[in-house]
Amino acid sequence: MHISDFFKGTTEINVTGPKIIASFEIGGVTINFTESILLSWIIIGAVALLLHWLTKDLKTKGISKRQVLAEMAVQTVYNLVDDTMGKGNRRFAPYIGALFTFSILGSLISLLGLRSVTADFSVVLTWALITFIWVHYTKIRTNGFFGYLKGYASPVFVMLPMNVLSEVSLPVSMSIRHFGNIASGMIISGLVYFALTSITKSIGVAFMTIGIPAVLSLYFDLFSSFMQAFIFIMLTMVNVSNAAETE
Amino acid sequence: MDFLSIDVGTILFTLINTLLIFLAFKFLLFKRVDAMLEQRQAELAATYAAADDAQNAANADKEQYAKLMQDAKEETARIISRAEKQAQQKGDAIVEDARREALAVREKADRDIAREMSQAKGELQGEISAIAMELAEKIMEKEISKEDHSRLIDEFLEEMGDKA
Repeated sequence: MHISDFFKGTTEINVTGPKIIASFEIGGVTINFTESILLSWIIIGAVALLLHWLTKDLKTKGISKRQVLAEMAVQTVYNLVDDTMGKGNRRFAPYIGALFTFSILGSLISLLGLRSVTADFSVVLTWALITFIWVHYTKIRTNGFFGYLKGYASPVFVMLPMNVLSEVSLPVSMSIRHFGNIASGMIISGLVYFALTSITKSIGVAFMTIGIPAVLSLYFDLFSSFMQAFIFIMLTMVNVSNAAETE
Repeated sequence: MDFLSIDVGTILFTLINTLLIFLAFKFLLFKRVDAMLEQRQAELAATYAAADDAQNAANADKEQYAKLMQDAKEETARIISRAEKQAQQKGDAIVEDARREALAVREKADRDIAREMSQAKGELQGEISAIAMELAEKIMEKEISKEDHSRLIDEFLEEMGDKA
């Protein structure tokens, strides 16, 4: 990209999925190594370094500002898990914190001009499937396998298709909601850039694209990213703790 | 890749990635902070226990000091009373000695007086008898022997003395 391209602004919109960086076949199945995975690794590496830096020398008294942050983070997640799932479920807190962080950073990486990881349907579908499996594992553990099966035919056997549908709808709705919000934000941002560029097309310098998109970005990136991450972990916790209740 | 697509590779990688970030959170954040919190809790409990111990020790010391103070007071009172008693006894003894000495002095004086009196009496007897003999010699001249005369006067004086 030349400097002159930057001044031209956005002159075309491509609504595509993540780029495929590498592709290889294992046993006849094509495995794609995409942009999303590379960015995920960057996020995970950054998070791991940050966490290690925050917690590298914890003390019981005379604590540093870093430690205050670390304790606050842990306490916040613990409180959230306690409030949503009830006491005695703190073992789930690391996953909830990790999922929230992965989701919000995966969305916010768009602020660096990169493609949001969560704008890749496969990524959010994976998380939704984890929640789905977790919910059903919890149900089986709570009610026993036959109790779990009987749950589908309650209150009457006729309800079986409805119950199956409602179970399947959980991961679908969770993943589509997350993906839809972030991906649509990405598209709208692209459209705004395109529109603002169009306004100043005759001048040749896309000065309108400076500043205005930032305001929109507040909602589509910051707010939406936070909300979707929060909604996702809340739905996960609520569904799992509901599954833990005996029917 | 299509905008809305389900890719097996991405799902597999994301599973692994999610596991990785979960492990990072578990071992780099939660385990460490939990361990620290547990240690802090233990230290807090230890501090409270130490404070309780110190307070108990202080209370025990206080009681001991109070007891020592009480003992000291009693001891003081005892010493004072004993000293008073001793002083009283000593005083009494001194007074008693003085009285006895005074008595002895008086008895000695009495004895001296009595001895001197008897001595004086003896001397007087001798003198009186000599005077009487001289008188009698001068009056009677050689009528009676000196010895007889003297004996008569002695007898007379002894009778007089007995009567006195």
